Amino acid sequence: MFAEALALPASLDREQVSGGRRAPQKPMNEAQFEAFYRKTAGSLWSYIYRMTGDPATADDLLQKTFLGFLRANPTFESDEHARRYAFRAATNLALDHFRESKRDRLRLDSLTPRSATVADRGELRHDVSRLFGELKPRERALLWLAHVEEAGHDEIGEALGVKSASVRVLLFRARKRLAELLSKAGIGPEVTR
Amino acid sequence: MSECRFERDVIAGRWTDTLRAHVAQCADCEATMLVAPQMKELASIDVREHPLPDPQVVWLKAQLLRNTIAMERASRPLKVFQAISYAAVAAAWTAVLAWKWAAIQAMLHSLTPATLLQNAGQAASLSVTFFLAIFLLSSVTIGLALHTMLAED
Repeated sequence: MFAEALALPASLDREQVSGGRRAPQKPMNEAQFEAFYRKTAGSLWSYIYRMTGDPATADDLLQKTFLGFLRANPTFESDEHARRYAFRAATNLALDHFRESKRDRLRLDSLTPRSATVADRGELRHDVSRLFGELKPRERALLWLAHVEEAGHDEIGEALGVKSASVRVLLFRARKRLAELLSKAGIGPEVTR
Repeated sequence: MSECRFERDVIAGRWTDTLRAHVAQCADCEATMLVAPQMKELASIDVREHPLPDPQVVWLKAQLLRNTIAMERASRPLKVFQAISYAAVAAAWTAVLAWKWAAIQAMLHSLTPATLLQNAGQAASLSVTFFLAIFLLSSVTIGLALHTMLAED
């Protein structure tokens, strides 16, 4: 009764503290999944899209990620833990997709928004999208996770299946490469400091 | 090699004098600074043209998928048993036919109207046990075939 009144957050609710002892964690129920999905799906879709460059593939891989997530039905210590799991699964699916199709290079052009209804049609944004697409899938993943998801090196390492210590070097190279591409395209870094 | 403690500040653009001084000396943070504004710009582009699938639909699909997998898993022993049954029935037919092959051939040769009339009074060369075995095997074969058809339905 008190737990209901206190309305514990979903992540804590799952741990079901009873009699001073923590009961074993349970897999997500529908309501918990729905809350988690609403919180994660948007950023996960953007991440997959930036990795693959194709909205249809992003839709497909997003569904696969969540179906796999529910099929495995794992237990998580927190929502953050579940989020990491989802990003790792999405990364693996995207990298598998590249291995299978080997059409990465052909898809570079599609990294820019296709529809005329998309608000972004600015030339600069278009160029940044295109240049970002010229990076390798792993470089894209590294940069997106670090800059957009603001993930730490250990989280990035977990998502990409590399040692956390290697992330610093890989990230440095990816940044240098993007900076080079931007510089060649005449899009100088507009540093505000 | 761990993450530079100023990296997140550079990404977020939280510039201070200390950060500026640090970036001048740190190659990692300098590289971060070079791409951070463009990455921010890229993140702000909304490229999604249609809404994401409803979480309830995804949940339902996952349940259906889980049920299908559970059913497949449950029917696996049945399929193995079925395969073993096919093999056993085939082996039994082979054994029975091999056992009385000569007698069966003779009987088949004798199935002409003339020989039938000629041998009408003679006792059959195939034993009752053989016919019983054939009857039993036929029943099992038909049963197995029916089971397979019904299971597929």
